[in-house]
Amino acid sequence: MFKRYELHNHTDQSDAKITCRELIGIMEADGVDCFAITDHNTTSGQPIIRKILTEEDHNVKCLYGMEYTTYYGHIVCPVLEQYVPWDSINRHKPELLFEACKKADAITGVAHPFSYGDPFARGCRFEMTITDFTNVDYIEIINNPEPLHEVNEPGILWWEELVLNGEKLSACAGMDLHTFKDKMAMKFATYLEGTDGGDAVLELRTALAQQRTWVSKGMLVTWEIADESVRFELCNVNKRGFVPPERYTLTLKNRDGTREFDLTAGSFTLPLSELGEVEIPKLYGGEPILENLICVAPVIRK
Amino acid sequence: MNELYHVEGIVNRGFVGQITYMVCLEKPCTKLDIHFTFDRRKRKYSRSEATPERIAETIEVVRRDYGEEITEERAKEIILNDMKTEIHTLATLNDEFIGCIHKQLSDRHMLYDGDHASDGCIPCEIFEGVLKVTVLVFNVIKDNTRYKLTVSGE
Repeated sequence: MFKRYELHNHTDQSDAKITCRELIGIMEADGVDCFAITDHNTTSGQPIIRKILTEEDHNVKCLYGMEYTTYYGHIVCPVLEQYVPWDSINRHKPELLFEACKKADAITGVAHPFSYGDPFARGCRFEMTITDFTNVDYIEIINNPEPLHEVNEPGILWWEELVLNGEKLSACAGMDLHTFKDKMAMKFATYLEGTDGGDAVLELRTALAQQRTWVSKGMLVTWEIADESVRFELCNVNKRGFVPPERYTLTLKNRDGTREFDLTAGSFTLPLSELGEVEIPKLYGGEPILENLICVAPVIRK
Repeated sequence: MNELYHVEGIVNRGFVGQITYMVCLEKPCTKLDIHFTFDRRKRKYSRSEATPERIAETIEVVRRDYGEEITEERAKEIILNDMKTEIHTLATLNDEFIGCIHKQLSDRHMLYDGDHASDGCIPCEIFEGVLKVTVLVFNVIKDNTRYKLTVSGE
């Protein structure tokens, strides 16, 4: 089964206008399987949510994390149960903080890397230079409130470039929820494979380790390699508010370029020999332009 | 509550970084208030401060850093609405994190009182040992921005 994760959310424990209890309610009402609390530079909301979920019956799970909100960019940790200081943040050596977080068993992602920073909002753009991605689990390629072309498109392109150059990095999405106004219909969420009643943290760790995450508005494209061919299929995960398009286009991007295939029929098979070493599958509703993007699927490595 | 420590300082335009104050709590406290303020009038630019020079500088920064051409009107909007002095506070007790207030405020209390604590803060039963208060300076838009930090306990 596929599970929907919302990995980037705030409460009034930092700068949001929703309480911890309200965050639980928003996630539960939207059918989210698992959400993370990732307040800016504080873990104070964690025990509040933990207490509510322990004492009451709710149909949603929580990951306890934080968003490192530094002077030079944000590092979102959907799992960070032990606070790791960031006061020695080094713009030219962010690996030190990623490494310290991983030693504390955290899950780490680069949040909205191309967000507007100074003079609009100092620190929001990721201005640190990462040369070693060993301790980075994922790039938040879609931060839903951010502008599609100005901010999210370069994030997608950066992740694609890294992956095509051999980095083992997953792609995730974030709501960056701050208010009740942040509606989740037709927004991108992160999906991964799990089991009914499965351990939410373990399933996320496994998906990230294998780069098996989907960033989607509600329809996934899955792929399976068998008998020297790869079969693509559409999979509707029934995300609330998702409006299916009339036509689906699958694109495969490798180092030589991008190819398009019609996936309106729901499935499609391609000989393995026609794939490059690394392929990035993406699903569009109709014409393959960013406005029509529906899903970024796990990378295919031959 | 009794005042345990008070300090005032000035930060300059463009400063990014942090200033940490260490307070030795000689007697145990059950309540603590870390009060931080900075000059509210210096948090944002006023209309009269959206000068032609500042507008031109903003247009140049956006062109250089984002490759975008913006109008003078847009630059003025950025100056008045987006540009701000942003300073937050973080505290540790004996090197354990006990909270950070990350809200757009020029006056804040990190208040600890038994089971209750301000937003962003983690309740503590007793305060003794070494309290570190870190002033996190994200952005300062005006020179001579004054701040005050007061730690009180009971």
